Amino acid sequence: MNTSAPKKLTIEHLRGSVQPFSLSFENGKKLMIIYGENGTGKSTICDAFGFLAEGNVGSLDNRGLGKTNRYWHSLGKKSTDVSVTLETTTTTCRATVSRSDVVVTPPEHRPRVEVLRRSQILSLIEAKAAERYAAISRFIDVSGIETSEAFLRELIKDTKAGREVAIARVQENRDTLQQFWEEAGKPGTDPLLWGESESTRDASAFDAEIKAISNLCDTYARLAEYPEQTELATKSLKKAQDLLDSAQQAIDQCLAGVSTDAAEIVSILESAKAYFIKHSEPAACPLCESAEKAHGLTARVNERIALLGELHEANTNKNRRVQDVSRATQQMEILKENARQHAQNFNQCCANNSWPKDIVLPSTPTPEDLADWSAWLATNTHLPTVWKKAESTRQDKKQFLSTLKRAFNTCTENTLAQKELDALLPSLSKALQIVEEERRKFTDTTLAGIATEVGRLYEVVHPGEGINKISLELDPDKRASLEIGASFCGQATPPQAYFSDSHLDTLGLCVFLALAALEKPTETILVLDDVLASVDEPHVERLIEMLYDEAMRFRHCVITTHYRPWKQKLRWGWLQNGQCQFVELTKWTSVYGLKLIRTVPDVERLRQLLAETPPDPQLVCSKAGVILEAALDFLTQLYECAVPRRPGGLYTLGDLLPAVDKKLRAALKVDLLKGKDASGTPIYNTVHLAPHIDEITRIAQARNVFGCHFNELSFDLLDADAIAFGESVLELIGTLTDGDVGWPRNGKSGSYWATMGETRRLHPLKKPS
Amino acid sequence: MNTPSQELANKILERLTVEKLVTDDDAKKLVTKMADGKLRPEDWRLAIEKAAEKAAKT
Repeated sequence: MNTSAPKKLTIEHLRGSVQPFSLSFENGKKLMIIYGENGTGKSTICDAFGFLAEGNVGSLDNRGLGKTNRYWHSLGKKSTDVSVTLETTTTTCRATVSRSDVVVTPPEHRPRVEVLRRSQILSLIEAKAAERYAAISRFIDVSGIETSEAFLRELIKDTKAGREVAIARVQENRDTLQQFWEEAGKPGTDPLLWGESESTRDASAFDAEIKAISNLCDTYARLAEYPEQTELATKSLKKAQDLLDSAQQAIDQCLAGVSTDAAEIVSILESAKAYFIKHSEPAACPLCESAEKAHGLTARVNERIALLGELHEANTNKNRRVQDVSRATQQMEILKENARQHAQNFNQCCANNSWPKDIVLPSTPTPEDLADWSAWLATNTHLPTVWKKAESTRQDKKQFLSTLKRAFNTCTENTLAQKELDALLPSLSKALQIVEEERRKFTDTTLAGIATEVGRLYEVVHPGEGINKISLELDPDKRASLEIGASFCGQATPPQAYFSDSHLDTLGLCVFLALAALEKPTETILVLDDVLASVDEPHVERLIEMLYDEAMRFRHCVITTHYRPWKQKLRWGWLQNGQCQFVELTKWTSVYGLKLIRTVPDVERLRQLLAETPPDPQLVCSKAGVILEAALDFLTQLYECAVPRRPGGLYTLGDLLPAVDKKLRAALKVDLLKGKDASGTPIYNTVHLAPHIDEITRIAQARNVFGCHFNELSFDLLDADAIAFGESVLELIGTLTDGDVGWPRNGKSGSYWATMGETRRLHPLKKPS
Repeated sequence: MNTPSQELANKILERLTVEKLVTDDDAKKLVTKMADGKLRPEDWRLAIEKAAEKAAKT
């Protein structure tokens, strides 16, 4: 934060500063008034502030020049020659041009400056609503909040939609439960309670029953297979038996053709052959152990076997059939054993479960004899269908319970979700309401604050026309659009419609000042470039007073003007100048550029003349006479004294001095503020004016004799008379006025006239009758 | 100096906190987001649900 007072501004080769130009700021004075006729370089000084603070030369804007940086430098110079330096009591900051950019060194010391030019003064008033908004948006732009607010609104919309969906789902779930409830025969009184109760049921009971029924079906199905299997096994056994019988018959037929013991012989021979395979060419007969005829025994046995081959074949076949019968018999036995086992399983299955009523079991147990099974099965052939149906029913019930559970759970979840949304929505709506309220309040308060400030300033210049009569309003139907309103003859109206140019100028200036004061005024140098041009004479004095007051709020204030009365009023001390530094620019030349001259108030000038050694009587009397005329003009107007009426309203001392008659002179006194006591009460010295005015009346002829004309009478008068006249006038004016705050013009006390701050109190309030 | 949005965000969150629609902790965290226009629907919901939960507990 930089609030240090400026000490010196140096401008080199910017616009009209063909030679380096320095402007020194007087210590302790926050307002600088730069007076100069047109073309003296006032705008160059304002541009220098803009150049330093904003990197721009604002006076060239909106002149159809396009990019203006090629016109920034003085004629005959380059842009790199341009520099502006601001020295303050604590820092120095310099701006130069590098390529096309303005570079400020050091950047952190770049001052905050608000520049208002004559050409811009109406911009806020006459601009389009959107442009007006843009100028003010930095104070009221809450677009970030608006975006967050839109997100909240979106959330509420989505939540409402979600709640509608949840309600619909809950209704749908309840309808489903109602349907289930009706399907279940409307047990109890309430579908929801029933659904809740049902959903707690254990589905595993159904699973056990389904498993048992399934087992029953399976074991029964096994039994049903046995009659056919038994039939097949029986047939197989019979067939094997028949083949065995046939083989036996074939052997019998063979045996009929050979000896009766052929069969046994073949057997013996076969056995012998088998023996000879292992013991070839034995030494003795293995049967009789005789060695006789042992030689060739193997060959002879083989020969005899061949002779008995047919019988052998028949015998082999028979042996095979015997094995077949044995196998078939064995299989039949296995079948019977299995059947017995499965029958036992089935019977156990029937016996081991406590079957529900819809499960019908065979009226008799499985017969012991497998041959009876067909008949038994025939009597129970309908049972598997019944069992399947029972199983299917349980499957359906299980499915129903599962669906019911899901429906109930969904219903519960959706009801919960709906309740959550029911609870959330009011909070969201309340939050939105708060956001909307606070946003509106913030914007309205800010705008009202600005409007009030504008009204307050405007009221100073146009009493009775400002307070509560200026408004700033955002257009609710348009985004970023600001309307300015004013009261004219009691009617709310846009000011542009009925206000005079002078009023609009004042309003524009007030809007600018109000906005400038909103943001860091103590860090801001306020620059007003010739803003008094179109203000009416009656209002200009109040406007100036208002500017004096407002300037004190800022870091510093620079006002340029070519309004000559301002200069004259300052010269005559009619305006307060305690905080004001007045400088005057003289004619600009292409050789020297901007040039300052010092304007000395006339009272100060008289003091200087009296202090000279030796003082010049003619100059002293001349200056004192003019000052005395000013003082008498003030008094005679203030007390409405009678003076000769003549065209032009020009009055001499000879007219004015007698106008302040004896009664008034005797009543005239001034309280001079000397200070304040410990409790803060002002302490005044009272000075009566009658002795001063009487003395001046006595020696007033010195003014004409010395100060106005060549006059032989002056040869006879002493210079001391002339000096005494000047000193008396200086004493009178010093008593009557305050060099810092001007003349006692304020009669609001009701008993005296006072200067600003009541440094002088002039009595009486009215001329004695 | 705060921007208007930051200034307003502080005021809004202060009121939301008083109304127990946002917790104190969240209010501090949400100022910048709200001022920058980045307080999205899910952020709003979370903050308001948290505050409701906290209010229910106390």
